[in-house]
Amino acid sequence: MSDIQMARLATIVALVERHPPLGRTAVMKMCYFLQTLRNVPLGYRFTLYSYGPFDVRVLSDISAAEALGGIESKTVLYSGGYGYEISPANKSRSVKALAADFIKRYGPDISWVVDQFGEFGSADLELLSTIVYVDREYAQARRRQTTDALAENVQEIKPHFKGAYVQSKIEYLEGECLLRSLRTTSACR
Amino acid sequence: MAKDPHRKYEIRCPVHGFIQIDDWEREIIEQPAFQRLRRIRQLAWTDLVYPGAMHTRFEHSLGVMHTATLLYDSIVSKSRDLLKQELAYSDEGLGRDRKLVRLAALLHDVGHAPFSHSSEELLPRRTGALKFAHEDYSAAIIRSELRGAIEEHPLNANTGFRANDVAALIEGGAAAGRAVFWRDLINGQMDADRMDYLLRDSHHVGVGYGKFDLQRLISSVIAIAPGGKDDHSRVGIEEGGLHAAEALVLARYFMFTQVYFHKTRVAYDIHLREVMKQILAGGRFPKPSGTGLKEFLRWDDWRVMGLIASGRAGEHGRRIIERNHYREIYHTHEVCTEKDLRELKRVKAKLGNLLVAEETATKSWYKSGSDDIPVLSKVRTPRVQPLSEYSKVIAGMMEKNNQALLYVDSTRREEAERKLKRKGNQQR
Repeated sequence: MSDIQMARLATIVALVERHPPLGRTAVMKMCYFLQTLRNVPLGYRFTLYSYGPFDVRVLSDISAAEALGGIESKTVLYSGGYGYEISPANKSRSVKALAADFIKRYGPDISWVVDQFGEFGSADLELLSTIVYVDREYAQARRRQTTDALAENVQEIKPHFKGAYVQSKIEYLEGECLLRSLRTTSACR
Repeated sequence: MAKDPHRKYEIRCPVHGFIQIDDWEREIIEQPAFQRLRRIRQLAWTDLVYPGAMHTRFEHSLGVMHTATLLYDSIVSKSRDLLKQELAYSDEGLGRDRKLVRLAALLHDVGHAPFSHSSEELLPRRTGALKFAHEDYSAAIIRSELRGAIEEHPLNANTGFRANDVAALIEGGAAAGRAVFWRDLINGQMDADRMDYLLRDSHHVGVGYGKFDLQRLISSVIAIAPGGKDDHSRVGIEEGGLHAAEALVLARYFMFTQVYFHKTRVAYDIHLREVMKQILAGGRFPKPSGTGLKEFLRWDDWRVMGLIASGRAGEHGRRIIERNHYREIYHTHEVCTEKDLRELKRVKAKLGNLLVAEETATKSWYKSGSDDIPVLSKVRTPRVQPLSEYSKVIAGMMEKNNQALLYVDSTRREEAERKLKRKGNQQR
């Protein structure tokens, strides 16, 4: 197992430990936030799906962390759907020890992501991460956009959300100084 | 006489029969950047184990376009109302995105490096720990080399596509808009890519693995409405397609264990990587922009083989010519436990400098989570359940395969075996 793989498994265990139980969507999106908002070098390649930024390797790493006894997961059925709950398992400490230095270095970032996003449900996390994804794509292309334009772009990808709701989540992220492509002046700049 | 932009053409495919293309697609296929795929083998040096594995990314790309279209048409015919309601599609919009999906499927692999995935490790670094992937090259080629063929064909007057629209669907860019829904057909656990490569590889390699009921799967694929914790529509299957979906996952498992991760095939991936390190400037492929992209497109299997044949690819080039590959001396279980990892470490220490290479699998046969295939059951009340929950077979296949293989030089194999036998280690 390479160093980066061990760092990823340890990170997943550390995330779950800080806010058990976490859903798979929550782990996926928190890894995305860690890499995108905090520059934690996890080496994932997130691309956009209708369920937000996604990299199948996060799921592989969840399985690997589970095989090593660092976490355990169970399926939860809802009316008309399903979800997953992941909790720490008895070998969580030894999986984190695979990348002890990494966890020590990025521990504050892991805590920050959990504090910032731990209370959101999976649908909100998908929406928030989609907003950040679209924002970063614009910022990377050195393009600026208004809040309305960002909301419109996000709604194209996630049409099930009402415009006002998307706007409220953009405002939340903007209020936390986590967006980069908006034209509006704010206290962040 | 002027060319008829509405003319249709057919290409014979060993897996799907005739694949129909239109004049626009033919124009794209004729571009040098696409023709290059005729010179990139689908399975690298697999022919050194299975002699029939000589097929290329060219025929696979046509097959993915064909399969993606069958999936798209099936979903639209069964779920038209849902797509109109949830994603605000009109009939015209569905026709437009059908074409977009076809083009994305056709071009998804246009950025492959020589010998496909085998040399991907030598793609350069993008940022931080993240490296470029072949999809980045596909997107860059579409936006540059193929832009004219996509945007300027007369048939594009009906759709108004920009090359960026096609690239965005492949790379998962926000510009894809609502069409991002269709990404599951291009890159998901039940995508056209996987369906085609399993059937095609199985056909050419000549194994009985890799087969599944494509027609059944296509006939049962649908769009599933948001529900439960999902706020978005998904590509899924009706309950009747459950066993065909299981067979797809099993096909992948068998192809991976028997073909893709075959110990000798993997050894040639190692030799190829060493060859590429030697013949590429700086030991890496150029970045996918500007002159770097043009230089990248000059690389194909023929050029690499020419350098190997002319003796300019060093020791590992000679090994490929002479079929003198590294020999596997030890492997772990497919799914490593903590105990397996400890044992691996011990074996490595014992082999010392006899160990010349280590390869680790990084695949899961099936993953639960956001892209778990939703299955719609209509017994009594409609209910959506993930395939991993619906099927006991799939539930048993979700662990990550992180099997490690250790290799030694062929001339030192016996010495290595003696070292390991002293303590009775598992060997091959």
